[in-house]
Amino acid sequence: MSSSLLILNHQLTITSSTYDSKFFFQTKPKSSRSPSLVTEDLRSFISKFYTVHSTNSASFMGLSSIGTASDGMQLCIFDLRRGQHEGQELDKILYFFPADLPFSTQLSVIGLSEGLITFTRIFSPEAACEVIEAERHSHVFYEAEPDIWMVMIVEKSKESEAIWRIDALREVLKEIHSLFVMFHGSIRALLEREPSGGLTRAHLYPFIMDYLRDFLIGKKLQLPSFRDCLMERRSVQMLTVGREAAIEVQTLVRILESSAGNLPCFSLILFQDLLVSTTLSPEDTINLFKYAVLRLTPLALSSGAKSWSYLRRGNSSSHVSIGSTLPSTGSVSEQFYGSHDASPAGDNRYHVTRPLQHDKWFKGKDGFLITDIWGGDIGSLNVTTPTVWLHQTEERMYLCAYQYKSLTIILLIPLSSILNGDQGVSILKQQLLENASLKILKVEEKLSKGWGGENAYHVSGYRYLLVDGNRDISRASPPTKVTTLSKESLLALNRLREEVDAEKSRAKWDNPGREKDLEVCIRAKNNAWAVARITGGKELYMVLEKANETLLYASDAVEKFSNRYCSGTFSLD
Amino acid sequence: MSGKASSSQASIGGLGSGSVSHVFIQYPPLRCNIPGSRGFYYDDGNKLLLSPTSNQVFSWKTAPFSPNAAPNIDSITEGPICSIRFSLDEKLIAVQRSNTSIQFFHRETGETFTHRCKSESESILGFFWTDCPSCDIVVVKTSGLDLYAYDHALKSLALVETKKMTVSWYVYTHESRLVLLASGMQCKTFHGFQLSSVGIIRLPKFEMVMAKPEANSKPVLASEDVYIVTVYGRIYCLQVDRVAMVLHSYRFYRDAIIQQGSLPIYSHKVAVNSRAPISAPLPVLFRGFPRSDSFTSRPGTKESESLEASDSNDNEAIIYGDGWTFLVPDLICDIANKRLWKIHLDLEAISASSSEVPSVLEFLQRRKLEANKAKQLCLAITRTMILERRPINMVAKAMDVLVTSYALSLKTGSYFKGIKTERTPSSVPNVSGPGQGEDVNTGRTDGLGKSVQQESASRVNSVSVGRSSNYSSETEDSSSFEPLKISSNDAQFDSGKVDTGARSSATGNPLNASVSEQQESQLTSPAISPDEMYRFVFAPAEEEMIGEPSYLVSIILEFFRSANLEKVKVNPNLYVLTVQLLARSEQYAELGLFVINKIIEPSKEVALQLLESGRQNFQIRKLGSDMLRQVSLHQDYVLLLVQDGYYLEALRYARKHKVTTIRPSLFLEAAMTSNDSQHLAAVLRFFSDFIPGFHSTSDFSTYYHILNEMNSSSVVA
Repeated sequence: MSSSLLILNHQLTITSSTYDSKFFFQTKPKSSRSPSLVTEDLRSFISKFYTVHSTNSASFMGLSSIGTASDGMQLCIFDLRRGQHEGQELDKILYFFPADLPFSTQLSVIGLSEGLITFTRIFSPEAACEVIEAERHSHVFYEAEPDIWMVMIVEKSKESEAIWRIDALREVLKEIHSLFVMFHGSIRALLEREPSGGLTRAHLYPFIMDYLRDFLIGKKLQLPSFRDCLMERRSVQMLTVGREAAIEVQTLVRILESSAGNLPCFSLILFQDLLVSTTLSPEDTINLFKYAVLRLTPLALSSGAKSWSYLRRGNSSSHVSIGSTLPSTGSVSEQFYGSHDASPAGDNRYHVTRPLQHDKWFKGKDGFLITDIWGGDIGSLNVTTPTVWLHQTEERMYLCAYQYKSLTIILLIPLSSILNGDQGVSILKQQLLENASLKILKVEEKLSKGWGGENAYHVSGYRYLLVDGNRDISRASPPTKVTTLSKESLLALNRLREEVDAEKSRAKWDNPGREKDLEVCIRAKNNAWAVARITGGKELYMVLEKANETLLYASDAVEKFSNRYCSGTFSLD
Repeated sequence: MSGKASSSQASIGGLGSGSVSHVFIQYPPLRCNIPGSRGFYYDDGNKLLLSPTSNQVFSWKTAPFSPNAAPNIDSITEGPICSIRFSLDEKLIAVQRSNTSIQFFHRETGETFTHRCKSESESILGFFWTDCPSCDIVVVKTSGLDLYAYDHALKSLALVETKKMTVSWYVYTHESRLVLLASGMQCKTFHGFQLSSVGIIRLPKFEMVMAKPEANSKPVLASEDVYIVTVYGRIYCLQVDRVAMVLHSYRFYRDAIIQQGSLPIYSHKVAVNSRAPISAPLPVLFRGFPRSDSFTSRPGTKESESLEASDSNDNEAIIYGDGWTFLVPDLICDIANKRLWKIHLDLEAISASSSEVPSVLEFLQRRKLEANKAKQLCLAITRTMILERRPINMVAKAMDVLVTSYALSLKTGSYFKGIKTERTPSSVPNVSGPGQGEDVNTGRTDGLGKSVQQESASRVNSVSVGRSSNYSSETEDSSSFEPLKISSNDAQFDSGKVDTGARSSATGNPLNASVSEQQESQLTSPAISPDEMYRFVFAPAEEEMIGEPSYLVSIILEFFRSANLEKVKVNPNLYVLTVQLLARSEQYAELGLFVINKIIEPSKEVALQLLESGRQNFQIRKLGSDMLRQVSLHQDYVLLLVQDGYYLEALRYARKHKVTTIRPSLFLEAAMTSNDSQHLAAVLRFFSDFIPGFHSTSDFSTYYHILNEMNSSSVVA
């Protein structure tokens, strides 16, 4: 075995010719450890690495063959604090996709990840391994909660479409976790509630399956690829409103929150799939916004309506098993993860709600959105009010969603402040209608009038992504316009974004709390310009296919865009 | 200011406003007991109370009212007196001697001449002076109107125009400049003319509604039952239908007369009252109540109460009697006791009696006579309403009223007129705060010019353009009447309820009376500027409302909404207050939206407050620094960047925006503390290159030395 160790610019690269794979991760620059210790640690890492593989009697190479069987994607969640004794390794596994893999394989994947995490923590205790780039796979790590890790393994297949941006994949992991926490609370809390782990697995499995179904195109999971490089997952898209409309919206917000009396409550208002107003913290806003766009907005409801009515006609059962749409699951793992169908009336041990279940929301006669996900009978309209857990207040809240035309209003009221549960909620809904319905009408009318349609934020000649990292807001060219870009341009921008991601995370460690200004322009094979400009926490990515003359030309175009649409934020000073 | 308001409230309160009376008469009255008086005449054109004796005319000025006013005495020849009126320039006295002749006396020269009817078949019903450009005096005869011009040289009347029609009787008020001529069997067919300084408008012929008691009898409408009423510059006509016991009201438009509504007269008492106050067209009565209320039965009853209440306060224990005659606009002539009372509205009592705060404010905002008191009351009421945490929609309505009224006063210029006269005596320049007042003022003038333009563009008949320049002229002649304005501000005053139908059927040209004559020298408008709203409502409210500021933010938001609708500029301090309130309650998400959507308009004050409030929240601080850049406060922005350690960015920005006022040592020091010799060298080089003579400064030598030390120490290490 010939391996070489290369430490360059705080980046540790291990090249192992045997497995033809390359790991790299970042170390904290001001690591107090001396170089000799590093070698020491490396030795222990490698020994651990081998241990993992020998105990599980699965070859490292074996991963790739499993990968192909499951659309080239594996996703696991495990807890480093569990299963530390021989024979109890299975305890670690909280979730594994695809679930029909033999446990030995699952354990080998988790064992490798665990080994790497343990090893890299030696150098960088606060931020362990982020990614392993093997020849045919990328392993994306995300520490969702202390010692609870999510790892996604994607196959670098020969087809050219399978080109990812690692950070985009990590955002998927982040999203899964934060949505899960929003509905079920933290994984650690679930584990503490029931140390056997059964409860946690019973929650995680259906949740992530429901989530992944959104990525299904045909029978294939379509993860965010380079084609999505003009998109920022963990951000909200906002509607631009004029001052007058904004005042009306804020007045409505005040009315909404005052109709809950003196109770502290929060609200979120969306127009179409765009955020208009929020009183939540950025973190909670992102999560609820995402959920609304996935399941609650008129668009989400209408896309579900068809299949819902179809199901009603064709199938008496009100839920669809994931097994039918995703690769089939083995009976062993079914036992292990609990009944993933999570049918409310089933004989499963745990009562699990599936907030991401498809086609379960629809609009009631009074304009409020209802669902039986949380229990109850949709026919008799006697349903349990959904609840979510807020990051900011660390409190459970009732979720009331009201829809009028394109306007979706989400009101969150603390559970603790409503004494008589669902009855109290329905009284509140009544109050809300009485106080606010006129204003809602007015606001909807105002916003509709100012709404520029799907392509409202299209700027001809430009394909752009604008991210305000300070406020977690993004705006991009409409997806239909992005598809007109050639593959080369998109690949170039994807590459550029990877560079910027790396640069950003490096700067974060180098100089915490300081923002770095950055500008990169690259020219793609097809003579298109891919431009990235970062200043004061705001990011602008752009593809200019027609600006094929000079760098000056491209730079001018960016300048114009910046002055016109970003109030000069990205203009060169 | 609040102290002033409350003290005045107390003093008035002693006069019995603790009860429900809304109107009171102030003791002492004007005593006009003249031996040998042949009765009283009221010249509403000049607001003179006239009392002729056999060969003299005593005249008292009633506006401004003073109980100690001494009469002017003019001599006239003896003879019967049917009516008596002074010319509008008060140079001539016209005395109607009989139904065929009017005698004129020149007050200075004593010259006289007599005007007689030409034909025997017609008789003079009456006459009045007019400010119509083509004529000076109008004689109403049974055969129609004769319009005469007074010829100074010939000292006679020259006939200008004749309007032929049969006339049974007529009513005229100078306030409305409107003459209504009754004709027909029942005297219910009317012709109308408005003779104002812009010319003569002939109204379409119209009929009043009369109920028939029986099939065959046809009641005849009497002149005592028809009254012209001017309410807030708009002209109405009230008609008492004695058969149906109904009070009809009509509104006059240029090209239409629209019946507005009818008020049943229920009881004997109200009937008496309806005769009494309305018998003189008494705008006071109607001004007492917002438009929407004016056609309910409240006015009548309230009036009666007020009279009783005021009586009880009167030391001389005069009880309301039949001898009381109500005069336009606010006088009561007690013929029996020969006294003249001035009617006052008890603003405090009215405001205290109604819980409909927006309506009260609306009413107070229309007060022109006691503008200052009304303004103080408005401020106090608004403040109290907020402190009492009244429902937001009610406060929102109140804000609408105040802002609309202010916008209107800007358009008409009355707000400035008030400010001007108020300030001139103390010769204080028009700047209220350092820099700030000036800024606000120019903003207003801009707004004014714009609104005038809009008006004249949208309303063909608008003549209010001239007014905007008027406000600066200090000698506003109170007797020079404003042109008849086809009110462009009508829309704001309409309560909508009563008028919408009428407006749509008419062509939207309401007939208005001029109101300028009522304006007083002091504060002419109770309108409250955004600046005053901030200083006297929001800032005190904020001080008193400790704790949860969310309610106040809602109110301020409503104020923004109103101001935005009326395109009124908001005081930047109010934005600052909003930032403080939101930050205090940690509503950072909302604060962000307020700033991003420009609900809080960018300004230096706001930017600095955002930076201050952003100490707890990075995002808010960011908004503050972005705003500094946005409003081109380059120097502050550069300083901020340097403070935050972004000295290279600061340099780049300073170079681009030519900020040269910041000391190089600031940048150098920042570079030095970053302990990066390359950066320090770069900064040093920057200043050497761009500041001539920098090499010879002490800054250069100091930091050059430091740089050398840094380099040498790093080499050693």
